[in-house]
This record gives sequence, structure tokens and C-alpha cells, in this order.
Amino acid sequence: MKKHKHLDFEINLIPAIDLLSTCICFLLLTAVWLHVGSMDVKQAVGGQPASETAKKPTVWVQLDGQGTVTLEVRDARVPAKLAKTKLQGKEGRPDLEALSGLVAELKKSEPGLVTALIQPQAATLYEDIINTMDAFKKNGMVDLGVSPL
Amino acid sequence: MLKSSIVKTSSFHSIIGESSIVNPTHESGQKRKLDSGELLLTALIDAFSILVIFLLMSFSSTGEILYLGKNQELPKAALATQLERNPVIKIDDNKYYVEDAEVSPDGLVAALLDLRKKFQEIRPNEEFPGIITVQADRRVKYELLNSIVLASAQAGYSDIKFAVVMK
Repeated sequence: MKKHKHLDFEINLIPAIDLLSTCICFLLLTAVWLHVGSMDVKQAVGGQPASETAKKPTVWVQLDGQGTVTLEVRDARVPAKLAKTKLQGKEGRPDLEALSGLVAELKKSEPGLVTALIQPQAATLYEDIINTMDAFKKNGMVDLGVSPL
Repeated sequence: MLKSSIVKTSSFHSIIGESSIVNPTHESGQKRKLDSGELLLTALIDAFSILVIFLLMSFSSTGEILYLGKNQELPKAALATQLERNPVIKIDDNKYYVEDAEVSPDGLVAALLDLRKKFQEIRPNEEFPGIITVQADRRVKYELLNSIVLASAQAGYSDIKFAVVMK
């Protein structure tokens, strides 16, 4: 009687498991769990004289150590009530929700507004500066600067 | 050895039911003769593959740019950009470090100018980018950062990148 060749075949999975285990060990050791990025800012105080600098709509943002944020719009046509606004802080930190709403309102009234210059004070926390910048970036104000004391 | 093993003598009731390989008892009640111990490896390989794919997605080939200390916590930001390799100024324990070398606040400008000089020596045909990365704890006050902002302006570094943790 003629023997039929067995058509089923078995793949040896042990090398595949070895390879996958090695890969998992290597990737676990080299994995980056904390994604570090950067918040880009320009120097607010440049080397050029003011007369040579082209005037563009700008928001000047003053941050104090108690969380109060003062926004002043320059070289832009915005409603008078938005030209200079003071936002009180919440528990000593800037009220980011109110700030975000105000920036969105400013952006709506002046779409060409993309520049914000932040003027922190000595007691202002680094985290508050970054949160303020983030609030501006979320509303399309990407050209950010920070001024020295 | 397998004849006396646990696979031979015990019966597992798996969710796959009677087709499970680890169940040596046949429908008729007769014990199936096992030549070798067989395990269902497909599920294991599936799990391993998913793990490898997940880990590959979080793999970074750029390497570590910043080394965070135990007490250092970076601020968080949602709209941060990818961190690039630039000279790093670090504030740790109220001390300044330029590329991991401790520098006094008055020596920041000199250290940055030195870095600039080195860059121009190594790459004479390239334009100096003038970018620095600032690494500081989120609770640091601006009076400490102010020295960096002033020094970078004096040394011709117009762009500052504040290191943050992406939300």
C-alpha cells in the first residue's frame, strides 16, 4: 500500500519565542516612558532699535507671583474692554481657563494676533510661565517671547 | 519522564473544551497517549507580538538628551515640540550647569560664548543656530531663570527652548 505524504507540517515556534523574548527584554530596557519636549520662545528684548522693528499686533502679558495676569494689546484693533485686562489668580496661581477664554476672544477680534511677550516677575513660578505659554499656543498664538526682569 | 508528569495524570477543563491540547482525557473517557508534552503556543506568540509592537512604538532612537535628577520635575505642556540636541543649561539645587559643568551665575555668558566658539571651530561653514535648552524644576522661580535669559541674550543665543514633559 502506497503511503501518502503527510501534508500537515509544524513550524518550530521555539526560535520565534526566543526572538520575541529577546526583543521584549531589549525594548523594555530602552523604552522611553517620559516624553520630553520643548516650549520654544524668542528673546523678547532684541538687539534692534524699536524704530527699525516692524510693528505687529502684540499682547504683552505680565505675570506676578500671586497668579494675577495682566494682558495689554498693542498695535492691534481690539474692543476697548479687551485692550487691557487683568485676570485675578486662583489660589495664588494663574486662572488658566479664564486666560484661555480671554485669549480666544482676543484672537477672534484680531485674527492677525500671533505674538505674545511674557513679562514675569522675580517670584513667578517657572510652571506658571509654561502654563501661560501653553494657553497662548492652544489659541494659535505661536510666536512667544519672554523678557528678562 | 512525561508518563509520570502532571500533564499525563491531571485533566484541565479549558474554555476551548475538549479540543484543548493540555486535556489528555478523550471523549470516551480513555486517556489519550501523549508522546510529548504539547502546549498551545499561538496565544503566547500573539501576546509577545502585541508587546513587541507596543514597545517598538514607544522606542526612541534619538537617545537621551536630558538627564533628570531625582528632585527635578519638569513642567507639563500640551503643545510642546520635539526636543533637539542643543547646548543645555540646567538649574539644579539653585546651581547652574552648562553641559553638566557647574558654572557661577556670572560665568554663564563666558560658558555660552565658549560653546559658541567651539561650534564655529568645528563647523566653520555653518551658520550658528543660537539655540539653547533650559532644564529646570517646575517650582523654580523666575529670578533664577532670569540669569539664563540675560546671559543667552548677551552671548547671542536668540532662541530658548524650555524643556517640558509632554502631556
